[in-house]
Amino acid sequence: MNLIREIWQSIVRRDPLSTDKGKSELVFLNVWLHIHPAKVKKENLKFRHTFYLGFITFFLFLILLTTGIALMVYYRPYPPQAYQDMKDLQYVVFMGPFLRNMHRWAAHGMVICVFLHMCRVFYTSSYKKPRQFNWVIGVLLLLLTLGLSFTGYLLPWDQLAYWAITVGTNIGSYAPLVGGQVRELLLGGHSVGEAALLRFYVLHVAVLPSLMILLTIVHFWRVRKDGGLSRPIWKLNSKKIETLVTIGAPAEVAPLQVAAASKDKTYGLMEVVTGKPIFETVTPEEEEDTVFSYPYAFVREAVVLMATVTTIMAMSLFLNAPLEELANPAKTPNPAKAPWYFLGLQELVSHSALLGGVVAPALMVLALLAIPYLDRNTSRNLADRKLILWLFTIFVVANLALIVVGTFFRGPGWALVPPWVHVVAGAE
Amino acid sequence: MNRREFFKFSWGAVGIAALCSAVGISLAAVVRFLMPSVFYEPPQTFKIGEPGDFPFGPPTFLVDEKIFVFRDRDKGFAAASAVCTHLGCTVAHFSSDQKFHCPCHGSVFAADGSVQHGPAPRALDWFEVTQARDGQLRVDKDKVVPPTYRLMV
Repeated sequence: MNLIREIWQSIVRRDPLSTDKGKSELVFLNVWLHIHPAKVKKENLKFRHTFYLGFITFFLFLILLTTGIALMVYYRPYPPQAYQDMKDLQYVVFMGPFLRNMHRWAAHGMVICVFLHMCRVFYTSSYKKPRQFNWVIGVLLLLLTLGLSFTGYLLPWDQLAYWAITVGTNIGSYAPLVGGQVRELLLGGHSVGEAALLRFYVLHVAVLPSLMILLTIVHFWRVRKDGGLSRPIWKLNSKKIETLVTIGAPAEVAPLQVAAASKDKTYGLMEVVTGKPIFETVTPEEEEDTVFSYPYAFVREAVVLMATVTTIMAMSLFLNAPLEELANPAKTPNPAKAPWYFLGLQELVSHSALLGGVVAPALMVLALLAIPYLDRNTSRNLADRKLILWLFTIFVVANLALIVVGTFFRGPGWALVPPWVHVVAGAE
Repeated sequence: MNRREFFKFSWGAVGIAALCSAVGISLAAVVRFLMPSVFYEPPQTFKIGEPGDFPFGPPTFLVDEKIFVFRDRDKGFAAASAVCTHLGCTVAHFSSDQKFHCPCHGSVFAADGSVQHGPAPRALDWFEVTQARDGQLRVDKDKVVPPTYRLMV
């Protein structure tokens, strides 16, 4: 029995979880958990503050990684075998449809949750100083999510895949000066073919996921280093203005005198870093508002994880990911529609490829990136932010409206057709 | 600036220049690496068959080449691109109105290929049609000709 205890203690070095020291050490001494603070503010655990959208997005990404690796086992990235393999996944491979459905619905869910997470962060002013740069990382993560969705779409090599990529890469070719080269670089040729499929595969399974993982790590790290979650808006009071000092950022107070080093003294980092430490010292009234991450935060995260996985699994049991017929370069489906989250872009492109496909999206991304730097208003109260709230809300509504028009109001030949009018497919 | 400072500055400048050029050359090499040296794609010039294979009237659509071959009793042969100039979808030729319709974003091209409606930025391409020595028709997609071009056989 002593040996078993010794093995256990060699793995888990912390004190028992019944003690406060053990609860802290569970976080400090665990490489996976130490991204958390040992104690969190009660108010930050409230569902109505964050809706746990960041966690849901991250858990969806974990589902995508695992199901994606599983799908790779049965997938060959060259035509026409790629389509053959999709059919095998649908009808031959054990649990193949289920895995593919999970991958598809988790991907759609991730696009939705990233967007909603961005909205939450915007409306709660959580992009303001000192969190400006983490907003920028977040926008890059949104773009990566869309990039992963786009590259994933080509892989089934069905009609939807082929024409979505044909249209998508042609939009790229309208970019000034480098457009033609960009398209050739993406496709590895002049048309969507074998080389293009292989390149999109490499992007989808290696390049973009690696970038996604790297930026996600930075994103989480910055959440901690920028002072943890922002306080809920309903906790803001005019008397107490939250001042946070970011480690590494120049403090407004004079730097502390660092005593001359003596040989038998080892220094902790806290003696070198100036300013108010973010996590360790809290005022007594703040201390009353905090709870240990174990179990309060971890249990909530586990519940969100299980809810996310369960929802995706349940959807995957009943809803099948679509697969159209084999890619046919000679016959464009009518209407040829992109996946729903790109239909806003397709709607813009149907008016002008250069303005709608290159200029407008580029301006939108630049505007998103610039929000934390252009918004000089330090107040987090909704009443003080009328103008920017209107602007952002218009941006959100306009994007949704374009997607709705593209999805439900466009018929054959991209003609304006209300959804309640039936059009006979194939009528020419 | 004394001698010592001058050398210090010079070495620094040389170092930064070396670093920049190394990064620049590496990036250029990566871009060049991603550009294929050989395209294993179908040739741009190809034979499409004997003149007699093509009927008068509605154009013949060649699937792999993505072209429409027109044959007119008085004027002769012509070949039009079936690739929409907007975003590369394949247009369809409607015999009802003698026009080309793109299914993706609703561009409509007149019988001579010019844009009549929709977001397409320019007219459909017409390609040179010639007759090879063996009597077959030959289309060269690298040679764009005016829409009035016809080959009389």
